[in-house]
Amino acid sequence: MPRYSAGSAAANGLVNCTECGLVSDNTVLICPRCNAKLSVRRTYSLQITLALLSTALLLFIPANLLPMMITEKLGQVEYNTILGGIILLWKEGSEPIAAVVFIASVLVPILKFIILFYLCVCSMSRDAISAKARGHLYRLTELIGRWSMVDIFVVAVLVALIQLDHLLNVQPGTGTIAFAAVVVLTMFAANAFDPRILWDKPLTREDQDSARN
Amino acid sequence: MIENKQYVACAHCDLLLDAPVLQQDQFSACPRCGHKISRLRKSLMAQLLAFGVTALMLLVLSSCFSLMTMNIGGNISDISLWQSALNLYFDQYKVLSLIVFVLVVLIPAMVVSLILFFVLMIRINVRPKMLSNILRLIFGLLPWAMAEVFLVGVLVSLVKLVTISQIELGFSFWTYALFCICYAKVLSLLDRYQLWSWLSNGYRHA
Repeated sequence: MPRYSAGSAAANGLVNCTECGLVSDNTVLICPRCNAKLSVRRTYSLQITLALLSTALLLFIPANLLPMMITEKLGQVEYNTILGGIILLWKEGSEPIAAVVFIASVLVPILKFIILFYLCVCSMSRDAISAKARGHLYRLTELIGRWSMVDIFVVAVLVALIQLDHLLNVQPGTGTIAFAAVVVLTMFAANAFDPRILWDKPLTREDQDSARN
Repeated sequence: MIENKQYVACAHCDLLLDAPVLQQDQFSACPRCGHKISRLRKSLMAQLLAFGVTALMLLVLSSCFSLMTMNIGGNISDISLWQSALNLYFDQYKVLSLIVFVLVVLIPAMVVSLILFFVLMIRINVRPKMLSNILRLIFGLLPWAMAEVFLVGVLVSLVKLVTISQIELGFSFWTYALFCICYAKVLSLLDRYQLWSWLSNGYRHA
């Protein structure tokens, strides 16, 4: 079995520049058009992705347990975590907004963790669903990752706006830093992952059958 | 140096393909994974310039006026785009302020101005060596420009505040919203294949 998928640039002794998309011979080390380093596949793609992803997963714990926002109202101090803030929004009757925040700051990160871990595991072993579907999953993570930042921006706006001393003031909690780090790290992880390796391993029987027909 | 201008490879699955020869408004996609490779748009350069300049002006406008004004029992406070980052800085929340400033103001502004610079240089047919670095920088910065995410963040905080205070959206909010629309248009016009081929082959009127 050849290592690279049939018909790919790599299988033809060529290398595609990840920066500018110029195809060069695989003996060329630096892209002649944009001076980027060339490699047939991103080096240590899986290792880097997994490392960043595990770090993000660890930080996801304090991001959810530590307060995102500390509100002081007439001397009473209230600590709000991500989930706490969402529940509060829901109880106050703004269900759609609560849903938006829930999707952006809970669902999206979790989905991203699951998809990226799954893709990493896939490219290490055989799996049932086709490379095409996995490619779509990867594009999904690239697309949705940034939206998790919403919660950070909400806190930033509220903190900047509400500073009425002891009457009412809002401070960012330690959770914000952890959460921002989770978002940034998962974005780097998605960047480090090389989707081309999804096509490289031997195809499954289904794929081979469909290719033959 | 070996350059294979007759081939392209899909960035997502590495399938080797003939370089797309497109008619106007046609696009080419990878037959194996469906990744879009290029799209030849009508007057791409003019559109990029128009929407880029508009976006930049709107961004400058947005940083001049207030984003929203809050009134709690006579205590009025308002924030501008700058203040949302700067207030935080002076209140000792330096990391948070840096995140907001970089993702919401700095990177979107950089992306738009770099695109304008690049397109203008191609237009006047001056191609200094750093132009390829600029193009790389543009595509590298893209995922980190979070203007539209910030806009949603402002809306969510608006809803949170509506129950406890009188709140009004400022002029800057609307210009920033318009900026996001223009910015999204610029993003949808950005085409890796076309822009890089302008750099290596020069721009010809389509």
